Amino acid sequence: MEIIKTSNLKKSYMLGKVEVKALNGVDTSVEQGEFVAIMGPSGCGKSTFLNLAGMLDTPTSGEIYLEGNDVTNMNSNTRAEYRLKYIGFVFQFFNLFNELTVMENVMFPMMLNKLSDYKDRSKELLNLVGLGDRLHHLPSELSGGQQQRVTIARSLANNPKILLADEPTGNLDTKSSIEIIELFRKLNQEREQTIVMVTHSPEIGGMADRILHFRDGTIENI
Amino acid sequence: MPVDLRCALFYSGKDIFKNRKIFIIITLSIILATANIIVINGLINGMIEDLVDNTVESSVGHLNIYPDNNERFIEGIGIKEQRLAALKEVEAYSPRISATGVLSNKELSVSNTILALDPDKERKTTKLLEKLIRGVAVNSNDKNAILVSSRLAEDLKLDVGDEATLAFENGIIKVYTVKGIVRTGNLDFDSSTIIMPINEAYRQLAIDNMASVILIKLSDKSMTEMYRPIIMQNLDVNNIKTWKEETEFISNFANSWRSISSIISGVGLIAAAISVGIVIYINVIHKKRQIGIMKAIGTNNAFIFTVFLMEAAIFGVIGVSIGDFLGYLAIKYFEANPFYDAISQTWISAKFESRLFYIVTIVSFVVTILAGVYPAIKASRVEIIKAIWGT
Ligand SMILES: Nc1ncnc2c1ncn2[C@@H]1O[C@H](COP(=O)(O)OP(=O)(O)OP(=O)(O)O)[C@@H](O)[C@H]1O
Ligand SMILES: [Mg+2]
Repeated sequence: MEIIKTSNLKKSYMLGKVEVKALNGVDTSVEQGEFVAIMGPSGCGKSTFLNLAGMLDTPTSGEIYLEGNDVTNMNSNTRAEYRLKYIGFVFQFFNLFNELTVMENVMFPMMLNKLSDYKDRSKELLNLVGLGDRLHHLPSELSGGQQQRVTIARSLANNPKILLADEPTGNLDTKSSIEIIELFRKLNQEREQTIVMVTHSPEIGGMADRILHFRDGTIENI
Repeated sequence: MPVDLRCALFYSGKDIFKNRKIFIIITLSIILATANIIVINGLINGMIEDLVDNTVESSVGHLNIYPDNNERFIEGIGIKEQRLAALKEVEAYSPRISATGVLSNKELSVSNTILALDPDKERKTTKLLEKLIRGVAVNSNDKNAILVSSRLAEDLKLDVGDEATLAFENGIIKVYTVKGIVRTGNLDFDSSTIIMPINEAYRQLAIDNMASVILIKLSDKSMTEMYRPIIMQNLDVNNIKTWKEETEFISNFANSWRSISSIISGVGLIAAAISVGIVIYINVIHKKRQIGIMKAIGTNNAFIFTVFLMEAAIFGVIGVSIGDFLGYLAIKYFEANPFYDAISQTWISAKFESRLFYIVTIVSFVVTILAGVYPAIKASRVEIIKAIWGT
């Protein structure tokens, strides 16, 4: 089943009077349970694509379907609810809430989603990412790789259909990067988690099922 | 999706307590502003109540008969007194003459009000003659004795036993001996009044059987409205004021006082609220990225708005309730332990009024919350993409 599908997706930004075409007609789809990497030179529209697929932003034209539903023109409240329930995000820079502990960070989306067993579930998820012993630490007390693992645990809080990661290892050393990517592999294989990940690293990209090559706002067919 | 208040509170609480120092300082400013308003108003209420009590005790009766318009005196008071004595609920009455004069002691002289009364009747009607701080009261047949109010005595350097010269409004000048010093607590009265027997005033002013006012004491203070028409009819008089009407000027005066003090305290409150607004605003600016992440996770604008408004509300709830509590304690303390004010020479105590208390609570709370509105709007408008990519 196609979990993400885009058709002639375009996004342009106005920089002063100049129109910057960040995406220039992207037609693609991602199957349920796939682990897809997006690669390509800087400025080719990878992040823009991920933001549109994750309903963080709206396209200039074209359509986006998630699980077959046209989500292109949903209003912002509906999109927020959709993101909460169906999409998990991991960004390049650390995205934790500084004033919440590790466990509270993971609990928060579940509380928002009115799950009742959020305490147990957040402990489970933190065990899964190997941080079961850091529940009550603050993010500032963790290393970069550990923080990124907390972010991954948080992104999985509401069992999202799709996990979107924009250069999740971009700020990490090689060892931490490998840990993260192995975690992704594990999530994909053991939980059939659909993952779309942007990366600049060919080795990391190579660990995905499939690579989408972006160039100048479109997908290259290799 | 309705805003989940529990989640919003969860985050606001964590966010607000994260910086303890700022939290304490800001909360303190709300506490002080709230307590200040409560205490100031409580003291004003206390002063007003004392003033009303003093006035009612010494200067007015439950009902007070005045001359008709354009007349200076009530005439034929002998008959009127007889008729009063016949009325069942009239417990006592006291006719008074008021006139003006100038009292001198050597080079010092001060113009004053001469209050002439019958000491025996006055004693049954008011507590004025109990307000002696030195010496003794005048008798109805005293010819050379007067009582002098405390501040007047001070100004003229007079004490019990001293002689002073009184010039009446008709030009007659006579030397009197100060028999006692009176202090009522009413500033106006205390600064310029002398008291003499009414017969002596009749003699010097060459009048008789007249009064400037007749004070009436009823068996029950609350019967004034009922009794006013009865007395009007029986005594054939038109101009009667109740003790409430007599003290109305005090409450009017109090209200203007209150407005002034409210403005002053309001400034303090607004300053506190502005600091709440600024702290939350700065927080929002610093947190743009986290706000963006929160939205990416799936919260909507209304939720973000609620989070930051709730921070203002937390400051409000904690600050106002502690302020209320401290203000309440302070008022209760001053109620039990009045303090002496050297300037007005009176004891100042406070009076707790629950209506005021509720108003202050609501106003302080609302003002504090309002301070959070702008930062909360600002936060709710953070754009996800811009915030996450740090532009
Ligand atoms: N908010 C914006 N305003 C204006 N132009 C933008 C904005 N966001 C992206 N762009 C432009 O759109 C194009 C695509 O940007 P995007 O961030 O998607 O690239 P990317 O492939 O993720 O690059 P990188 O590998 O450097 O992250 C770039 O030319 C960028 O300058
Ligand atoms: Mg990018």
